[in-house]
Amino acid sequence: MSTPSVKLSSRWPTFVVAGLVAIVAAWLLAVQGAGEHNYRPVLSVLLGSMFWVSVLIGMLMLTMITRIFDAGWAPVIRRSWEFMIGALPIVLLLSIVPLAFIPSFRHLLWEWTDATHLLPSGHEVGHDPILQAKSWFLNPTFFLIRITLYVVFFGVITWVLRRFSFQQDKERDANLTHRLHAVSAVGIPASAVMLTMLAFDCLMALSYHWFSTMYGVWFFALSIRLALATTVILTYRLSNGGWLDGILNQAHRHVLGCLMLAFTVFWAYISFSQYFLIYTANIPEETFWYNIREFNPITGLKSDWWGVSMYLIFGFFFLPFLSLLFYRSKIIAGRLLTIAGIIFVGGIFDLWFNAVPRQINEASAPEGFVVSPFLSGYLALDLLAIFGFGALVIGLFLRSSTKAETIPVHDPRILESINYHE
Amino acid sequence: MNERNESIHGVACTFRSPSDVFHAAEKVRDAGWKNWDVHTPFPIHGMDQAMGLPRSKVPRLTLLGGVTGFITGCLLTWFMNSYDYPLVVGGKPFWSPIFPFPVMYECTILFAAFGTFFGQFILNRLPQHHHPLFDLPQFARTSDDTFMIVLEARDKNFHLDESRNFLLSLGGQEITVIRE
Repeated sequence: MSTPSVKLSSRWPTFVVAGLVAIVAAWLLAVQGAGEHNYRPVLSVLLGSMFWVSVLIGMLMLTMITRIFDAGWAPVIRRSWEFMIGALPIVLLLSIVPLAFIPSFRHLLWEWTDATHLLPSGHEVGHDPILQAKSWFLNPTFFLIRITLYVVFFGVITWVLRRFSFQQDKERDANLTHRLHAVSAVGIPASAVMLTMLAFDCLMALSYHWFSTMYGVWFFALSIRLALATTVILTYRLSNGGWLDGILNQAHRHVLGCLMLAFTVFWAYISFSQYFLIYTANIPEETFWYNIREFNPITGLKSDWWGVSMYLIFGFFFLPFLSLLFYRSKIIAGRLLTIAGIIFVGGIFDLWFNAVPRQINEASAPEGFVVSPFLSGYLALDLLAIFGFGALVIGLFLRSSTKAETIPVHDPRILESINYHE
Repeated sequence: MNERNESIHGVACTFRSPSDVFHAAEKVRDAGWKNWDVHTPFPIHGMDQAMGLPRSKVPRLTLLGGVTGFITGCLLTWFMNSYDYPLVVGGKPFWSPIFPFPVMYECTILFAAFGTFFGQFILNRLPQHHHPLFDLPQFARTSDDTFMIVLEARDKNFHLDESRNFLLSLGGQEITVIRE
C-alpha cells in the first residue's frame, strides 16, 4: 500500500465526526419541527438519508450484478463498492428506523399512520375509504415490521458479500468467488423486492392516495445512476493520490461512462412512462400527484415545482444523455467527472420532486389546500442532512479500507481487471 | 519515379506469430502508410492502436439516423393527427409532444438502426463480391495459422521493390505480389 492512500484512509475519524455532527444538528431541528407539528424539517432527515440509501443500494446491486456476470473489468472498482455498502444498515438505523418507530415523527411524515389526521375535505384519515381499501398493506404494524425487515435484510446481504470477499484476500480460495455467485443469484431478486417496497414505504407512501406500479423501477434506475455518478467521483479521487493511483485506466472510465449513459436513458424511459400512463388514463387518484407538481392550487398558474420538473427533463436527462453520446466524454477523466457531478446534483432534485410536494390544509384556499413550495430555507436543511449522511458514509468507507486489501488481490479475475482493455 | 502499375493490387507478406505481425504493424503505421491492412485468424488486442486506426465513423451515421427518425416521428404524428385529419382522442390536444412520444421514440430507434446498418455497409464498401486477395492461396490460411500484412498499391508510399524490401526488413516470411 502506498503512503498517500494510507494517509487518505487514516482520515476516516474526521469524516465520521463531521457526519455525526451534521446528522445530530439535522435531527435537533427535526425534533424542534415535530414539536411545532411542522413535517418539513423531519422530511429533511428522511431526504438526506434516502439520497445515500439510494447510492448504497445502487452500489449493492452493481456489486451483485458484476459478480453474477463475472465482469472482467469490475474487481478493482467492486472492492470500493464493498467498502461503501457496509454503511447501508447504519444509515437506515440512524434515520428511517427512528423516523418510523417514534410516533410523533411517523404521524407527521406518513399521515395515514395517524387515524385522527384531518384531510383537506374535513374528514379524518381513519374514515378515508381509499385508505381502508389499502389498509392490509398500509397499517402501522405491518409498516414497522417491513422497516425492521429492510434493516435486517440489507444488514445481512451486505455483511455476507463483504465477509466472503475479504476472506478471499487471506485464504486465496477461488471457491469463494463461486459462493459469491450463489449469494448474488439469490440476492438480486431479493434486493429487487426489498428496494421496491422500501421505495413504496419511504417515498410513495408519503402521499398515500397515489400509486404507481413503476415506482420501484424508478427508484432502482435512480439508485444505479447515483451509484455510478458517485463511483466516478470517488474513483477520480482514488486514482489521484489514493489506492487506485496507476490502476484505474481509460477503459475503466469508458465502461463506467457507458453504464451511466445506459441508465440515464433507462431512468428517462421509466420516469416518462410513469407520467405518460397517468396522463393517458387521466384518473383523478393518479393525476393529482402530477397536478400539485405543476400548478399552484390558489392561482392556477405554474408553480416553482414546474421549474423543477423542467430541470429534471433538460438538466437531469438531456444534458447528461447528449454529453455521454460522445466517446471522448467517457474517456477524458475531467469530462466524465463533470457529467457525474451533473447526475449527482440532478439526483437531489429528483428526490425533492418526489418527496417534498404535499397538500397542506388551508381553509381559505379554493380547493382546501396549498402545496408546500420548492424554494424555502428548508433546502439548506436538506443539504445539511445530505452532507451529514454523506460524510458518515465516506468515513465508514475509509474505515473499511483499513480492514481489507484495497483491491481484491486474490480475486481470480484481478489481472484481467487491472489490464482491462476496451 | 513511382512504379505504379494498374494491374497490381499490392504486396502481401506472411508472418509467423501475433507478436511479429503486431510489431511489424507498428512500423508500417510509423512509416506513414494509409492504405494497408492486417489479416489474422483471431482478434489481437491493441491491434487498432498498433495500426493507428481511428475510431469508427458509424456512430455519426447512427446519430444522423436517430435525429432524422425523431423529426420524422414528430412530422408524421403532427400531419396525421393535427393537420390532415384532426381527431379528438381522450380529450387530449390534437398534437403535443407527450401522447405521440412512443411513435417519435420508436422512429428514432428504427432510423438509428437503419443508419447503423446501412452506414456500416457503405463505410465497408459492401456488398463486394470479389477481392483480389481471394486469388491468393496464402490468404485462406489467415483464417487458420498465418498472419498477413497487405500494402496496397494505391498508397502514396507504394513502390514495388522498396515495399517488398520494407516488408522483409520487418521480419516477413513470404512475399507475394497481388494482381488485380
